[in-house]
Order: sequence, then C-alpha cells, then structure tokens
Amino acid sequence: MAEVKLRNVKKQYDNGFVAVHDFNLEIKDKEFIVLVGPSGCGKSTTLRMIAGLEDISGGEIMIGENVVNDMEPKDRDIAMVFQNYALYPHMSVYENIAFGLRLRRLPNDEIHKKVCEAAEILGITELLGRKPKQLSGGQRQRVAIGRAIVRVPKVFLMDEPLSNLDAKLRNQMRAEIILLRRKIQTTFVYVTHDQTEAMTLGDRIVIMKDGYVMQVGTPQELFNHPANLFVAGFIGTPQMNFFDAKLIKNGSKYTVNVRGAEIEVPDYICEKLNARSSVPENVILGARPENLLIRPAGSKNTIKARMKVTEMMGSEMHIHADCGMDKDVILRVQTADLDEEAQVELMARKDFEFSIRQRTINLFDPDDGRNLAVENAVPVPKKAETAVNTDEFDKKKKKDKKKKS
Amino acid sequence: MSENKKYRSKSGRERLTRTIIYIFLTLLCVIWLIPFVYLIFQAFRGESTSMVTYIIPKQWTFDNFIFLFTKTNFGHWYLNTFIIALFNAVLQTVIVLCVAYALSRMRFKGRKFLMNLMLVLGMFPGFLSMIATYFILKLFGLTSENAVPGLILVYAASSGMGYYIAKGFFDTIPKSLDEAARIDGASRARVFFRIIMPMAKPIIIYTIMMAFIAPWGDFMYASLITFGHEEAYNVAVGLYKWLDKEHISNYFTIFCAGGLLVSIPITALFMSLQKYYVEGVTGGAVKG
Repeated sequence: MAEVKLRNVKKQYDNGFVAVHDFNLEIKDKEFIVLVGPSGCGKSTTLRMIAGLEDISGGEIMIGENVVNDMEPKDRDIAMVFQNYALYPHMSVYENIAFGLRLRRLPNDEIHKKVCEAAEILGITELLGRKPKQLSGGQRQRVAIGRAIVRVPKVFLMDEPLSNLDAKLRNQMRAEIILLRRKIQTTFVYVTHDQTEAMTLGDRIVIMKDGYVMQVGTPQELFNHPANLFVAGFIGTPQMNFFDAKLIKNGSKYTVNVRGAEIEVPDYICEKLNARSSVPENVILGARPENLLIRPAGSKNTIKARMKVTEMMGSEMHIHADCGMDKDVILRVQTADLDEEAQVELMARKDFEFSIRQRTINLFDPDDGRNLAVENAVPVPKKAETAVNTDEFDKKKKKDKKKKS
Repeated sequence: MSENKKYRSKSGRERLTRTIIYIFLTLLCVIWLIPFVYLIFQAFRGESTSMVTYIIPKQWTFDNFIFLFTKTNFGHWYLNTFIIALFNAVLQTVIVLCVAYALSRMRFKGRKFLMNLMLVLGMFPGFLSMIATYFILKLFGLTSENAVPGLILVYAASSGMGYYIAKGFFDTIPKSLDEAARIDGASRARVFFRIIMPMAKPIIIYTIMMAFIAPWGDFMYASLITFGHEEAYNVAVGLYKWLDKEHISNYFTIFCAGGLLVSIPITALFMSLQKYYVEGVTGGAVKG
C-alpha cells in the first residue's frame, strides 16, 4: 500500500543499448497499472527496475516516501510473480509460501496462520503438502501468487504471469486476479504483451515502444483517443483502419475528405484544431473496424470497396476489403444484426460501399503520427533510429551468445 | 511364407552381429580386468614376495596385509592420504561451487576475462609450476615433514579453476529462482545455501568425488613436496618406492596388497555415488 513514483528513469546496458528512455509515471496508492507493449519495448526492464533486480542508469524511483534506487530488493517491501512461476522445486507448497515469512523470523504459529489464509484466498489449501512438480500450470501460478500476497507487500509486481497458461486457463486466472485485487487492496504493477489483459485488468495502462512511453491512460482513453498511430494500431483487434484524408476548413468547422467521402469532424476535435497554431492539410484518419458501416449502393458519402476475404467468427464477421489503398480495410459486422439470408448474401457480394461512423474518427498527423486532438501526445519513435539500435543490440547479443557457447 | 523367411534371415543376421559384439565386449572386459584380478591374487600370495609369471597363487595368506601394517609405514601413508583427500574434498567443493555460482549469476567487470584466463591457465600442465610451488611452500615450512598441510594447500588453492562443469550446471537453474528468493528477503549467500544448494545435489556430489579422488592418486606433487621424508608420503609415493630395483623382489606382493587397500575407498565411493556422477556430468548438457 504505497505510491510508486518513477522520475526520468533510464536504463542503459553496458553495450550502450538504451532499454528505457526517460520514464515518468506516478502510480497512485492501490492503483492497478499495466505496462504493455510489443516484446523488447522495455516493459519488463521497467518492472525489474522497480523490483531492484536491475540497476537504474539514471533518474529516481520512489516507493512510498523512500527513494529506492540503491536499495536491495528485499528491503523494498515488494512482491513479484514471475512468468515461469519460479517456485522453489525442493520445497512443498507450504514452505514455498512460508519462505519469505521465515526469513523475516516470524513466529511459527503466525506463519502457519498467514500461509493458511493466503492458501484459502487462492483455493489451494489441499495442495499445501505437495511439491511444485506435482502441480498443474494454473495451480503453480496460484502458489506463486500466494507466495507474493502472504507478506502483504506495499507493491505487487507481476511479470507476464499468465503467458505460460493455455488460453482457457488464462481467461479464468485473469478473472481471479480481478477478484484477488478486490480482496487485497494494494498497488499493482502488471506487465503483459496481451492487450486483452491490459484492457481488462488495468485502472491505467502504460503503452511502451522501444523504451519510450507512448501513452498513459485509462483503457477507455486509450481505445477511444489513442495518442498516436502506434497506440491506435496496438490496441484493438482487428487493428484500426487508417485512411489518407484531406482536412478542409469550413469557418470554425472542419470536414475531412476520404476517398471522395466527406465526413464532418466531431466538435471536440474541431475545438482542438482551432486551438492549434497550424493545422496540417493532409491527415491520417483512423476508424476502428466496427465503425465502418455497410451502406446500400448509391448512398451519399460512401467509399467503394471490393470484397477480398470474409471471416465468419460466429458472433461477428470480419470483412477484408480492397478500396484502392496499400492496405486492406477491415470491417467488423455483428452477425446478430443480420438474418441468415442477409449474412449469406453479404458473404457472396463482390462490391459494396461503406461509410465511416462520424463521431468515432481520430485524426493523426502524418509526419509524426500524433493524434491531433490529444494534448501532449508523444510522437511515434522514428523507425530508422530504433531499428538500427535494436539491430546492433541483437548482433551484440548473438556475439555474446557465440562467445559463451 | 517368403516374408517370414526374410524376417527369419534378418533376425539371424542380427543375432550374429550381436554375438560378435558381445564377444568383442567380453574380450575387452577381460583385458581390462586382468591387471585387477592379477593384483588381487598377488596380494594373497604366500609362497614368495617377488614377481612371478603365473597368476593363481599356490599358497593363500593374509601375511602381506599384516606385514603392511606392522613392519612398514603404510598405515601412516594411508592416514596422510585420507586426511589430505578429506580436507581437499571439503575445501575444494566449497571453493568450486562458490566460484561457479558467482560466475554463473553475478555480472561484474572482467568476468569474461577471468573465465577465459582460468580456462587457458587450466590447459597448462600443473607440473610447470611445480618448482615455484615447492619454494613457496618451503618458505612457509610446509614441505617434508609438514607436507600434509602443504599438499592440502596446493590442491585446494588451484581448485577454483575447475569451475566450468559446476557453472554449466548452475546455468541451467533459472535465474528467476534467485530473483524470487531475493525479493522474498534472502541475501545472496542465503539464496545460494537455501535455494540453489538443495537443487544442485548431483553437482555437489560430483565435485566432492572429484576433489576426493584427485589427491588420493596424486603422485607428482606428493613426491616433490614430501621430498624423501617417508613419514609424510601418501600412498602413491610410498607404494611406488617398493617398485625400485632393490625393493621389488622383497615387496612385490606387499605392494599388491597395498594397492588393493588403496582401491577400496575409491571404488566404494564411486559405486555408491555413480548415479549422481552421471547426472552431474551430463546435467548441464542435457538440460541446456
């Protein structure tokens, strides 16, 4: 139960590779923060720096009132759950959970009480006598969580705890983590590369790319108002569609022209655009697949498209269509909205027209990828720069590996 | 019918190959065992003490063993060797495991250089440094009559260089176990003793065995550092003296009896820990 503050935290490895650039975040007491991003984006490194398992190259980390930069992990009053569970194989489940308490020299009866309580919360009481290798993946993960909660730490760190589980178990454990969080009110920092986990668990989500923070916000903010093209593409499946568009000023209002279709820009975006010193003429319009609506032929302000693939997912249908751009457009149609005949008819169609749901559009600057309506949006890191860096890093890693072997 | 024949002919050929292989292996076995069997028989031979051209003794006796312990320093040598091996087993195991763990887990400047240096140094035969070692030990007064502590020092001091098998084993234990324990509140030392050691049983046993066996059979260093001081000999040096021209006819069967006694603890140790030995040597390779 403590706030965690990261100020200008930086991680640079000995070979010069910068894993985390200037990370700033204030985590409130009892908040559930999720760090998410593609692999190699520095999310695990950030978590390990909070845990004290990695040294910090610059900046400051505070847990509660203490600066913990040079503090040993054991003195930080944190607990961590690892991706591979990291259970001590030679100890029983009971001893695994009790290990941290024993090191703190608690009296035996108190240890017993706490272990039993933690086991009860997680429903593993009957497993206490077993060894880790006699447990299934889900049970092991529960024991790992038990080991963490038994100490009632200030901060609870989780490093991709569900990625070793199969899909069904993952959904179940995700729900259990939500319940657990209600039971033990403490600060959580959770790392994942799975956006569903991020969206469902986090109070706030931190999206990272190549060591930079792209956006910090609630799941809703991230989904509806992504700060840049990277966030827009990362959150949501299927991915958001991007169209090249022209912005046209009409008094204090704006319209965008996308492949011949005119769309009124929502008022809140117009306000933001009017407040800007300069507004680009060419923009990128982002619209999620569910916001592309199929229209009857001949309707106004529609975009013509040619059907390429239809994927029947059961409750919804994904339509991949070509409307003359480099990339296909994806539409998501709720099957419940159509009767079976209409579904068959839709799947058999070759050409169709669609419009974009006006109030849901996002406009991005094509130069740096920033959302024109989000203040203080972070530009997408230039690909060339980061690519070179990671390439070099990979090469070095390979060299190191060769040397080792 | 023809298929059946095919099968039979195939199995016949297989049986033939197998028979040849078994004959070959048995022959090899016999060749390997002849010296040992010869040694056992000679140890119990009573009719003379000199070398003979036949294997099975004409007269069986325990006299050679009694002679060993009553008329020679063999008891002394045996004890010396045992003390050296025991101390070395403890010291070397502790040093090797600590070095290996540190090199496996900790990242510090010069780690790679140190590892390579030790590897390269280990490739030079140990006797290159024998003269220097002798003079250093002499300065400390750890030669001749004090050769036992001197030898323990020589064996244990260089043992850190044999870190690689243990390091290979530690490398296969996930690092996150250490990290979990450190977060749970354990210091580095406690992680090592409470978490890693119980999981490293095969490699501990392998290291103990190696550390025990090496000084048990060492001749070169022991003969140099004891430098003719008979009381301080270990078994290898002591027994070898009996193979001199002037001794061999009087001491050959006694030498064999001594040899037999020397092999007993090693054989017992090896047989009882054989299972772990294989695990220790192959553990890293299989898992990594």
